[in-house]
Amino acid sequence: MSVSATASAVARAEAPAATPSRTAHGPGSAPARPRSVPSWVWALPPVAVLALAFLYPLALVVQQSVTPDEGGVSLDPYADVFASEVFRDALTTTVWLAVGSTVGCLVLGFVLALVIAFVPFPGGKAVARFVDVFLSFPSFLITLALLFVYGSVGMANGLWTDVTGAAEGPFHFLTTPWGVLLAEITYFTPFVMRPLLAAFSQLDTGQLEVASSLGAGPVRIIRRVILPEALPALAAGGSLVLVMCLNEFGIVLFTGAKDVTTLPMLVYSKAILESDYPAACVVAVVNIAISVGLYGLYRVVSRRAGA
Amino acid sequence: MLVHSRAGKWATWAVFLLLFVPLFAVPLLVILAASLATNWSGAFPSGPTVERYSAATSGDSLQALTTSLVTAVTASVLALTLGGWAALAAAALRRRGKRLLDALFILPVAVPSVVVGLAVLVAYSKPPVLLNGTRWIVILAHTVLVTAFAYQSVSAAVRRLDPMYEQAAAGLGASPARVLWRVRLPLLLPSLTSAAGLCFALSMGELSATMMLYPPDWTPLPVQIFAATDRGSLFTGAALAVVLMTTTLLVLAAVSRIRTRASYR
Amino acid sequence: MSAAALAPAPGGTAAPSGIRFEGVTVAYGGNVVLDRLDLTVEPGEVMALLGPSGSGKTTALRAVAGFVRPAAGRVFLGGRDVTALPPHRRGIGMVVQSYALFPHLRVKDNVAFGLKAHRTPKAEIPGRVTEALELVGMAAYADRHPRELSGGQQQRVAIARALAIRPGVLLLDEPLSALDARLRSGMLAELARLHRELPDVSILYVTHDQVEALTLADRIAVMDRARLQDCGTPQELYRRPRTEFTASFVGNANLLPVTVAGEGAVAFAGRPLAAPTDTAAPGATATLCVRPHLVGLGAGPNALTGSVTEVQWRGSTHRVHADVDGHRLMADLRELREPPAIGDPVTLHFAAEDAVLLPAGTAGASGAAP
Repeated sequence: MSVSATASAVARAEAPAATPSRTAHGPGSAPARPRSVPSWVWALPPVAVLALAFLYPLALVVQQSVTPDEGGVSLDPYADVFASEVFRDALTTTVWLAVGSTVGCLVLGFVLALVIAFVPFPGGKAVARFVDVFLSFPSFLITLALLFVYGSVGMANGLWTDVTGAAEGPFHFLTTPWGVLLAEITYFTPFVMRPLLAAFSQLDTGQLEVASSLGAGPVRIIRRVILPEALPALAAGGSLVLVMCLNEFGIVLFTGAKDVTTLPMLVYSKAILESDYPAACVVAVVNIAISVGLYGLYRVVSRRAGA
Repeated sequence: MLVHSRAGKWATWAVFLLLFVPLFAVPLLVILAASLATNWSGAFPSGPTVERYSAATSGDSLQALTTSLVTAVTASVLALTLGGWAALAAAALRRRGKRLLDALFILPVAVPSVVVGLAVLVAYSKPPVLLNGTRWIVILAHTVLVTAFAYQSVSAAVRRLDPMYEQAAAGLGASPARVLWRVRLPLLLPSLTSAAGLCFALSMGELSATMMLYPPDWTPLPVQIFAATDRGSLFTGAALAVVLMTTTLLVLAAVSRIRTRASYR
Repeated sequence: MSAAALAPAPGGTAAPSGIRFEGVTVAYGGNVVLDRLDLTVEPGEVMALLGPSGSGKTTALRAVAGFVRPAAGRVFLGGRDVTALPPHRRGIGMVVQSYALFPHLRVKDNVAFGLKAHRTPKAEIPGRVTEALELVGMAAYADRHPRELSGGQQQRVAIARALAIRPGVLLLDEPLSALDARLRSGMLAELARLHRELPDVSILYVTHDQVEALTLADRIAVMDRARLQDCGTPQELYRRPRTEFTASFVGNANLLPVTVAGEGAVAFAGRPLAAPTDTAAPGATATLCVRPHLVGLGAGPNALTGSVTEVQWRGSTHRVHADVDGHRLMADLRELREPPAIGDPVTLHFAAEDAVLLPAGTAGASGAAP
């Protein structure tokens, strides 16, 4: 009993003396908190779970990538993988597909968002909602749909053979990188449109009216007024799409094309089809490095843009 | 606003429709039509049938649907708890701690899903924790993947929350725990439900990591769709895809109803 | 009626009343927003913290509530040092500008919130909620949600919520600024009535509006640039301001630069004027403060002649601006039959005892002259 009394007396004596030292608070951290548990302790449980479920496995992948099947630690798996034709092809294919898709998405998304926002038409709201719904569907549905339209026994080829009597239709691009490109542009364009529509809704339409009353035509207004405002949203949306394209798997898997191999596809085939885990891990590490690097860039860009 | 002449407007809209309809509306319609067709190798599908749907909602397919639902619901609940907790804890931290937590919990978005699958496979295929071959490895991977999105939406909502409410509550004598339970969480409820919807939709359509991990007795719907198309049964695949989309939309609609009821302003 | 129920309960449980600041300093990253504040609010007193935005008045209130932690100094509630206590252990009632009514709770649950947080016995809660709501005339709205109430009604509920816990100290942070002018004067009368019904509660009232401060406060503390400039009853501040800042922020004032000529005599623009000089030494520069409504038209003591630069008709009065050797002199005159025209010569005067001599250079940076 006397112990607790002493303790509280000490606490009382110490409390005011301790206050002057706590000066350097930013405005955000100014509220006084009880001393019982520091706030970082509350962050520990979720971080621990994440570490166990995600960070530790990720570390194992890196470890596995420098551990060849024969044992020991070496960079041989890297040398082997970098030397292989398949990997180099996959790397080039992945990068150009991602860049191409991103450019396509940016152009298409900008044009479509421009019309929805600034040339309003009845049903425009419904289109915007449709875009939102579109985002909640998995990517491979697009490839599935394209199979019906342009597949070897699909609509387009069927129409061609019916009309011309030829044994085979002319559309075979679906199993080439062009098919993947088309599918990726289709699927990822809404990811550019959404931030753009949000940015456009912030734009004061008075600016457009003033610009047009000063004699600026639509093209000049888009270049001088709208584009500068949309630039942050375009940059943020574009870099997000670039990362997602680099990581895309479902679209490529569904085309069933043997000659389109991207990095995620290579990880899958090395690990599941060939059971070559060290090689799979090497490809995975390369893929992580590219994606995480770009994603970091995206975060910086979007923070600058205030998104 | 931008185009003033009538002709100009119609021309713009025509271009819009020419781009929008074939790219976005047609694919979904094609899948819907194909799911009802017996054959389609011309301009139009032939022979309407609902046969595929009776197949798609029974046996293996029904099993796949329930597998997907159980996985998505479990992963969403886990992700919401984990991501929500982390987002709330991050909000109480100083700048550097907040940045660190942001980086950690958003990392799964940047890492390719296939690699997440591979990592989980590598880590949990050996003792002490042997999850490979069980449904839990799929659920674990889905949870990791959607936690990042739960974290992002909850922390955005926490940032928008007016600190006046917490301060008013503390001023009235509420302890931090009471402020959390009686004020912050109820005010965050709309955002939490929409985050749940997002997680659910993502998990329902997840294919990349699942392909790396699924055991034979735990085949989610996307894997089933792939299996169908891979063996050439495109029409069955289409019917399954329609089932997947419909289920996702129904759940999202239900969630948005809850959200409307939970929002007070 | 209900006021008795809300007053602190008899016996040892009375909520601490009265606030004392002892050298309270608050800084954000080296930027001092409140500089060594010493101020005492007596039990049962209404103290208005009056000042322009950025003067530190809200920071002072938040230091009492516990939302900012002073870098130095102490805050006492009812004689107890609460500097290190978190907000929820201080037992104060607080009403903020935006009211911050919990949107997810009904009116009665908003009011009950503090009671539950203070672990009031369950059986007592409904009765005390009703009492608090009756006190502000909102009992009929107990089952509404805040979004279904008007701004004035939300304000009343916010006050009821703060009072339900029977605090000894009530903090009001610009409580009327979100209301329109008509509602504001009604709420002002309401607050005055509330205070009469709760004579033991100390109220700290932060505002930038001098009318609110003059109407409601027992004493006013005038703040500017993070510092307490002046403190006194409304009458004292109005009749005997101590700084140029107070003179111009509380009411209107003519501030004339003068030089002390001798006992009871000053020189303004080379003219001799009679004014109380108190202890000011001859030769010192000072500012003479004269309220416009105490300036008369025509010849008299301390007559000054200049030319009219502006005439404003204000219903019951005319405000005449005159230029006297490059200095502006304002007079609020009972409505004139024939107001002077701009450019007319005019003679104005004031009694020596209506003037107050202020130290020069105490105007403050905020430029508060209305």
